[in-house]
Amino acid sequence: MIKAENISKSFQGTNVLNDVSATFKKGQNNLIIGQSGSGKTVMMKCIVGLLEVDKGNIFYDDRNFNKMSFKQRKELRREIGMLFQGGALFDSMNVEENVMFPLTMFTKWTYKERQDRVNFCLERVNLNNVNHLYPDELSGGMQKRVAIARAISMNPKYLFCDEPNSGLDPRTSVMIDELIDELTRDFEMTTIINTHDMNSVLSMGDQIIFINKGEIAWKGNKDEILTTNNKTINDFVYVTEMAKRLKG
Amino acid sequence: MGPLYHLGRYALLIKRAFKKPDRQKVFWRRVLNEIDKLGVSSLGIVLIISVFVGAVVALQAAFNMESPWIPDYAVGLTTRQSIILEFSPTIISVILAGKVGSSISSEIGSMRISEQIDAMEIMGVNPASLLVAPKVLAAMLINPFLITLSMAVGIFGGWLGALASGALTGEMYVFGIKSFFHLYDIFYALFKTVIFAFIITSVSSYYGYFVKGGSIEVGHASTRAVVSSSILIIFANLILTQLMLT
Repeated sequence: MIKAENISKSFQGTNVLNDVSATFKKGQNNLIIGQSGSGKTVMMKCIVGLLEVDKGNIFYDDRNFNKMSFKQRKELRREIGMLFQGGALFDSMNVEENVMFPLTMFTKWTYKERQDRVNFCLERVNLNNVNHLYPDELSGGMQKRVAIARAISMNPKYLFCDEPNSGLDPRTSVMIDELIDELTRDFEMTTIINTHDMNSVLSMGDQIIFINKGEIAWKGNKDEILTTNNKTINDFVYVTEMAKRLKG
Repeated sequence: MGPLYHLGRYALLIKRAFKKPDRQKVFWRRVLNEIDKLGVSSLGIVLIISVFVGAVVALQAAFNMESPWIPDYAVGLTTRQSIILEFSPTIISVILAGKVGSSISSEIGSMRISEQIDAMEIMGVNPASLLVAPKVLAAMLINPFLITLSMAVGIFGGWLGALASGALTGEMYVFGIKSFFHLYDIFYALFKTVIFAFIITSVSSYYGYFVKGGSIEVGHASTRAVVSSSILIIFANLILTQLMLT
């Protein structure tokens, strides 16, 4: 479980997050949604520690992240996996080296043991015979899957996904969503997903937080989001022509 | 952002870069890779420039010292001193700042904007130690060899130039090369080289590491890295010369 308690963040006097509190549960897909510029990426970066909060606390299973030393944070980060928007694969390394990278840095496993783990992770994301390909030889969807394999290679307790569907076609998007959902439940991870893809929201949203102008405007799940009378969330959900027609 | 802000951030980056590596084996493997990337791949350009500049220095010396009061061997002596004291350590370092500096800055900058550095950070890896320190260390180790080769090839180029000019014999040139030789001059040149290698790699890494934005900013950072490290080399050269040769 991850808990954000009254977190605020501003840049040069502009409030981007304002006193936000949320609890992200274990074994569930916790979605942060909102328009571009609403503060959801800043929120994720604050939770994961890429940005320091101005105010408030972040707890990883009752461990206060803000009060941790540099060394303690480093230790905690080995329990975190993250899927970046663009994949963030190391382009000087091939697929195998990318997935193996955290294992090489933090385990004392033999090469064979590391290779077995890499193959296991690649199989979990349905990738075979790509070990020696470089990121620029892979399609967008394959790059995302390699990034997921790298994120789960250390068997993390917490998984962060920043816009996992961006730049992908609808079919590949659905496949990535299903994969994240499956891994979250199989490995009992606390998964936080940053998205504005409504298909992901409706298929994976065990818990949904809607951020608007740096504040939580609505909380609920994938069923409640379709029946709520909250105008702000409705304006966001039913903005496309297709959604308007479906609503009737 | 004032110069003090940049200086402070640069100092913090260097401090972080030289923290104990997360994995020694990986770190030293990267140092070896960087020696190949930064040093061995620069060998061609260093040798070509050195041989031609050596020849030109000898030709200039021969044509500008045509006086009965100046002995012929002074051409060799002048060429040697120009190459050892200034051309090889300083000018070659400025050339390397252009070649190596822009490559370092754009490599690290591209990693920054494509979130590869953030990915390392999230994994608990120290990106500065893995990306910056091996480059700095590699250049400080390999550049003295490059510069020593540059000196040798430059002096050889001078010999070719001197013979081509017909102003003096090969024996006289070699006699000039051997005259009034102080080993300290080599030490001074190599010491400068190590300092310049540190400047080139650390300053270029700094500009790449803190890039914000997209590919245009990576380009700007690369230009700033080359300009700043070239100016810093010239400035450091003045200080080191004042401290070590006077």
